[in-house]
Amino acid sequence: MSSPDFTQSYFQLFNLPVQFAVDVAALGERYRQLQRELHPDRFASAADHEQRIAVQYSAFANEAYAALRAPLPRALYLLKLLGMSQEDVSRQKIDGGFLIEQMELREKLESMHDLVDPDTVLDHLVEEISGDIKMHQAEFENAYNQQDLPAAASACVKMQFLEKLMQEAEQIESDLMDN
Amino acid sequence: MALLQIAEPGQSPVPHQVKRAVGIDLGTTNSLVATVRGGRTDVVADQHGQTMLPSVVNYSSADGALVGVAAQALSSEHPADTLVSVKRFMGRGRADTQQDAERSHYQLADNDEGMVSFVTSQGTVSPVQASAEILRVLENRARQFLGGEIEGAVITVPAYFDDAQRQATKDAATLAGLPVMRLLNEPTAAAVAYGLDSREEGVIAVYDLGGGTFDISILRLHRGVFEVLATGGDTALGGDDLDAAIVAWAMEQLSSPELEGGQYRTLHAMARQAKEALSAVDSVELPIAEVIEGAGSLTLCRTDFEALIQPLVKRTLRSCRRCLRDAQVDAIDNVVMVGGSTRVPLVRAAVADFFQRQPLTDIDPDRVVAMGAAIQADILVGNRPEGDLLLLDVIPLSLGLETMGGLVEKIVPRNTTIPVTRAQEFTTFKDGQTALAVHIVQGERELVADSRSLARFELRGIPPMVAGAARIMVTFQVDADGLLNVSAREESTGLESSVTVKPSFGLSDEQITTMLQASFSHAAQDKSARQLAEQRLDAQQLLEGLEAALAADGSELLSQPECEALHGLMKELQEQVAGENIDAMRKLTEQLGRASEAFAARRMDKSIKQALSGVSLDALDQEVSE
Repeated sequence: MSSPDFTQSYFQLFNLPVQFAVDVAALGERYRQLQRELHPDRFASAADHEQRIAVQYSAFANEAYAALRAPLPRALYLLKLLGMSQEDVSRQKIDGGFLIEQMELREKLESMHDLVDPDTVLDHLVEEISGDIKMHQAEFENAYNQQDLPAAASACVKMQFLEKLMQEAEQIESDLMDN
Repeated sequence: MALLQIAEPGQSPVPHQVKRAVGIDLGTTNSLVATVRGGRTDVVADQHGQTMLPSVVNYSSADGALVGVAAQALSSEHPADTLVSVKRFMGRGRADTQQDAERSHYQLADNDEGMVSFVTSQGTVSPVQASAEILRVLENRARQFLGGEIEGAVITVPAYFDDAQRQATKDAATLAGLPVMRLLNEPTAAAVAYGLDSREEGVIAVYDLGGGTFDISILRLHRGVFEVLATGGDTALGGDDLDAAIVAWAMEQLSSPELEGGQYRTLHAMARQAKEALSAVDSVELPIAEVIEGAGSLTLCRTDFEALIQPLVKRTLRSCRRCLRDAQVDAIDNVVMVGGSTRVPLVRAAVADFFQRQPLTDIDPDRVVAMGAAIQADILVGNRPEGDLLLLDVIPLSLGLETMGGLVEKIVPRNTTIPVTRAQEFTTFKDGQTALAVHIVQGERELVADSRSLARFELRGIPPMVAGAARIMVTFQVDADGLLNVSAREESTGLESSVTVKPSFGLSDEQITTMLQASFSHAAQDKSARQLAEQRLDAQQLLEGLEAALAADGSELLSQPECEALHGLMKELQEQVAGENIDAMRKLTEQLGRASEAFAARRMDKSIKQALSGVSLDALDQEVSE
């Protein structure tokens, strides 16, 4: 079976410039426009081979959208386009200061259950984490624009750490609400 | 848009013909079929004017299965032969269903592997076979109403159904001989039923408390595109459990007498009536004497009932909270209620309170799913102008592989939009290893032991290499029905060995064929005539579509030799269509299909470019800078 040509980059697919800043609303608009044309539902009564192709195209558009929609996967994808794999990124050295901060944040998070008024403390913590994430996004954009790949990759790793922490914070928040 | 069926503006290649399409809600407690006719969507009634078909199948008689009210009437007398709530057993193994089976007084067949089946006086019956009986009744009903064979059906499944449960549902449809175009998630169907009428834009939450399952979905409606943002739920929590809570309460009040299967069923039916009555009145009496001779009545007031079901309602809200978080939305514009149990005032109040919105209940919560499915069926079969409505759904549960130490490596996380293709590279961990076991699991837990096992297969014939040298690419593909295909390939040597997987709890293709043959044996001749007609139709569709496509884009997208090759094959197929050789026709249709794939792909690329050509880069730059 011949496969459609998926060598074009996700940015090309959506006709967007290759850069970290993306207007998510415009991206969503284009994504939906593409799916209106490509989705297998549009080929429900077509021949099998057309349906197969539609599934492949539609899946490609979904992958592309998922990769560009959120900042972290977008940053990783930009690095991938420059030849850096996920493994290369994770091997990046992180400065000790950041790691100590991480440990402190994590300790705060873990002691949350013992507090009298955990909600307020948790709100502050979530705010702090999302502020940090934004900061490292800016750091990534700067480094990427200056083609400083090690610095861009290290910003990515930091974003990964913080996103994981954010997920844990949200988990604790929902545990608190249930109890 | 059908890619190969483009006509000149204002000219249709074939006269517009309305096709017979139906939407089917295959429910735990009741099933319905709906269709769109003359622009109106409605559920189809039987000759007695009944729209809801109780999802009950009885196997007491050698003359064949009874379905619906007639089967229900035999439930107390023949509990083991009368299958209720079979949906709870679809795609499930023995270990998952023991409790449900005991509660319903079924006898499970003695197989520890694969999907459960029930021992009835007419032999063992799988949940898939029982579901197929229900589908046949609905198909007949629709066929009579529409005056001909059904040309396309959409069957709904709980959004939270896993791969095995979806596959089982599709197998049931195959067994019933229904041409299924799509499995559609129930909450998405409900949103379609509401969304099309009001043409609203915004974020919708669908709270679906069905007979046996609970689903919550958050969708964004955007100019005719329904994007499911997140979905969640509980496949083992539903209206049945509200009834069971009443039964448990009654048993406690009666100091837990020993009950026969039939008595239990009667008590359960009584509990359901009590639940329904309590939506309107403040207290009901349960005439226990109908179950246990000489026993007095029990009175259940609404406050006590609400206390009984409070923990269950709370469980649904927990799912809602997780779903909202997954969807990453700030506010909900509308809440849609689905399922008979959402009539319970406590449920409505709790949902209104949670979402801070009065839920919509304009469409009958029992019918809304079937109606939405009918609308989608009408679109998929081609009865509506293009671009009318598009659904972008998600996968409800993460898919992954077993890795070292019994851990799960997630390949496709939950709430990923489908269709989706994801590949992950693995390697060998021993020198000279020639085989790799692939174990596919579904669920959110980190340990394989806590996840649902979907399938296992082995990739054999890997050339001996040092540990870590082999590069094995495992690819997951989930189609628009939410069904999974997994293939594996060893890349470093170019050796290709891909395997397509059927879920462990599903039926094998041979099993389906055997069942199909059994049900068709009396009509072997009809079958071959039907096959010929279907094959001919397939061939003609391909030819007509290709003809139109070549006329529109042939000279632009194909070289002269490519064009000639296609024309040659088309001519051959045209000659075959006139004959009666099904096999030759099928082979040639497939061959032509494959030969035209590159052309179809080029046309797809062209339409992508066209789709985006309206937006210029300048406009985009402006948007970004804003």
